[in-house]
Amino acid sequence: MRRGAMALALPLVFALAGCSRVPEATVEAPAPRPEAVMDFHALYSANCQACHGANGHGGPAMELGNPEYQALVDDATLRKWISGGMPGTEMPAFAQSAGGMLTDTQIGAIIAGMRKEWAKPNAFGGATPPAYAQDQAGDVKRGQATYQARCASCHQNSAREQVTSVVYLSLVSDQALRTIIVAGRVDIGQPDWRLATGKGVAGPLSGQDVTDIATYLGSLRNPAAVSAAPIPNPAGR
Amino acid sequence: MPGMKQSAKQIYNWLERRLQVEGPVKDAVLHKVPRNTASWWYVFGSAAFTLLMLQIVTGILLALVYVPSGAEAWNSLNILNHQVPLGWFLRAVHAWGSNFMVAVVFIHMAQVFLFGAYKFPRELTWTVGVFLLLMTLGMAFTGQVLRFDQDAYWGLGIGVFILSRVPIAGGSLVHLLLGGPTIAGATLSRCFALHVFVIPGTLLVLVAMHVWMVLKLGINEWPMPGRLVRKETYIEEYNKLAHEDGIPFVPGAFWKDLVFSAAVLAAVGVCAAVFGPSGPSGQPDPSITQTVPKPDFPFLWIYAVLSYLPPSMETPFILIAPILMIAGLLAVPFVASEGEKSWHRRPVAVLALSMVAVSWAVFTHLAMSTPWSPHMSAWSGDTLPVKYLREATPLVRQGAVIFQAKQCRNCHSIGGHGGERGPALDAVATRMTPDQMRYKVVTGGGNMPAYGKNLAPAEIEALVSFLETLHPKNEPPAFDPSQQANAATASTGGSGRP
Ligand code: HEC
Ligand code: HEC
Ligand code: HEC
Repeated sequence: MRRGAMALALPLVFALAGCSRVPEATVEAPAPRPEAVMDFHALYSANCQACHGANGHGGPAMELGNPEYQALVDDATLRKWISGGMPGTEMPAFAQSAGGMLTDTQIGAIIAGMRKEWAKPNAFGGATPPAYAQDQAGDVKRGQATYQARCASCHQNSAREQVTSVVYLSLVSDQALRTIIVAGRVDIGQPDWRLATGKGVAGPLSGQDVTDIATYLGSLRNPAAVSAAPIPNPAGR
Repeated sequence: MPGMKQSAKQIYNWLERRLQVEGPVKDAVLHKVPRNTASWWYVFGSAAFTLLMLQIVTGILLALVYVPSGAEAWNSLNILNHQVPLGWFLRAVHAWGSNFMVAVVFIHMAQVFLFGAYKFPRELTWTVGVFLLLMTLGMAFTGQVLRFDQDAYWGLGIGVFILSRVPIAGGSLVHLLLGGPTIAGATLSRCFALHVFVIPGTLLVLVAMHVWMVLKLGINEWPMPGRLVRKETYIEEYNKLAHEDGIPFVPGAFWKDLVFSAAVLAAVGVCAAVFGPSGPSGQPDPSITQTVPKPDFPFLWIYAVLSYLPPSMETPFILIAPILMIAGLLAVPFVASEGEKSWHRRPVAVLALSMVAVSWAVFTHLAMSTPWSPHMSAWSGDTLPVKYLREATPLVRQGAVIFQAKQCRNCHSIGGHGGERGPALDAVATRMTPDQMRYKVVTGGGNMPAYGKNLAPAEIEALVSFLETLHPKNEPPAFDPSQQANAATASTGGSGRP
């Protein structure tokens, strides 16, 4: 009798527990539709920070919070990359017209927010950086020489060599490389185009130097040469 | 005064002459039932009936405001919630009534099963009862769709997923349910038709049959160990019991039904008042992927089962399990139509019932407590801990970007953030060699998608070089001297959630 009663009571208990468990609670106002969100922090933290880092620093992709970057790039360019994505990189397209989830107004809110939070007056301390976009033809040979002279000092040791690795270069675009060389990344220790730290090294890179280096690195890019590493025993499938 | 009484009597007589219901009703009300059936265990059936009536009344009231169109449904529910006085309470009562009804029907069934009440001559009563259960679930299912919010989408998604696996006819069945290839306005119209015409109509007919048989065949006597059911003698024995030790159904047994039904109604009211109506949650727009929708309570367990099943098992399970379950239920009275009714002498039955109850409870609990579905915005919203990238090389950083961009994060957490469908990867390098990781990423398996064709070789290399760095400083990465052995373990290893 007792056993039976227990077996009977069990579903009852769960049924009653179910009543108290689903906390859909009292009537709430419906959450705003995602495209109604206009707050920069909300937008940035939901859509960008995984790659570009909390507050624009320390993420795996470009340091958007670097004031030099903000000073280098204009609104139209920002809108172009954010709306349509950056070809040749993992930067996704966010505009609804390009299959993304953000409206043009929201993208405007992100740009305005970045300017407000991260841009600083006189970010270059009076100096004039090379142009953001490549504006002349580059030369591979010259670029290689400049790279050896100006970059290798830091990038020759085993870990950082990977800047010239085919695998790495297959995943980044020329523009991404150029942006890094010109604006630098404070968060990972990559200097800007001036590269200068004592030792009487030659001054800042010229626009031509930057173009040459990017061209040289670009010439090493060759996705076809990255063979699929042998996957052990894929036969089973 | 006496004149009024007189004319009331006249009207009654006039009607009775033509309708002639007094006799049958008196018979039904006063028929004798065995004394020991006036038990608190025998109240669930009538409670289910009461809840059905409640659902019909509240349902009709809801239908006065609800607009069954894709564009309007969600709004009309919000109007009910916010503008119609007590509209929210009406919705809540209907929703909780539905939860209670599903629960009570299940309990009723468990009780009938445990008391052997399905045995001769009540086999058909049980069979009709099984269909009543299916109808009740059908009502709960179509009802949640009428909410037409994101949870509704998700519940429907599961239903469609199950239907779509039916061989050959799958596509057409999905089309039939959805009124098109996708969930849209037509889907809502279909579910509305099912929910207010087709299923309730069938339900009422079946309920009538069910109750008729209960009246005609008498309420199951209290099972006594050793008192066996035999087809030749049962009817005679039962009648003897009902007449020698019987009481009139009303009020002898009926008052307990009334009290319990009232208690259930009160419980529905309290739940409705305290917990409020369910939803509507976000708008049912499939492009909004930032939420984690869940099906309604009675269907949660399916969700957990599906999450646990390895993909190769999904189709067979989905197609075969429901058929087996229903066939099993239908077969019960025919397999065991005679013999022992008491649970004291039916250990297998008791065990089976307990197992079903426990596994249902466990799966429901899992589905409620575990964030099964991927976290849809983890890929773009969850940062990687800065310290994981501090010594990263450019390639590792790219690997991290790809990890986010390919939405691995939606299923795998790092630093405590991200989905939990797959294991956390913070220390993955301590348990897998690069080869094993490469193999896993390319071939997938165990709920992990196979990325082989969707990643370029460079992307896989970058990804693996990032995963390789995921180990605590003081713990060395996994190392396996034998490449061949790696392959073997990689194909069997990583057996899912701890
Ligand atoms: C899946 C990862 C990912 C997400 C999410 C992401 N980005 Fe990017 N973004 C990248 C990558 C990769 C690049 C290429 C540059 C690099 O790697 O340094 C890039 C480049 C950019 C650039 C151009 C940099 C340049 O060279 O001028 C901008 C601007 C930018 N992202 C803004 C955003 C904004 C704003 C968001 C959120 C709406 C966002 N990104 C979300 C990965 C991402
Ligand atoms: C002062 C030392 C130093 C010099 C000089 C230097 N770098 Fe770097 N660079 C770094 C450091 C530190 C990092 C970050 C660590 C890493 O990626 O290995 C880095 C990273 C990079 C990255 C990867 C950025 C990313 O987002 O992943 C690129 C590309 C790069 N450097 C290119 C160059 C080029 C081209 C030059 C020459 C114009 C150069 N660097 C000169 C220190 C330097
Ligand atoms: C749909 C959800 C999902 C996505 C997306 C996903 N995974 Fe998984 N992953 C899983 C599940 C589930 C497992 C456990 C598989 C098993 O049972 O063997 C797993 C296992 C793994 C493992 C083995 C971990 C271990 O400890 O056994 C690695 C490594 C892994 N995934 C990497 C990735 C990478 C890299 C990506 C992105 C390219 C990714 N996953 C995307 C669900 C997912």
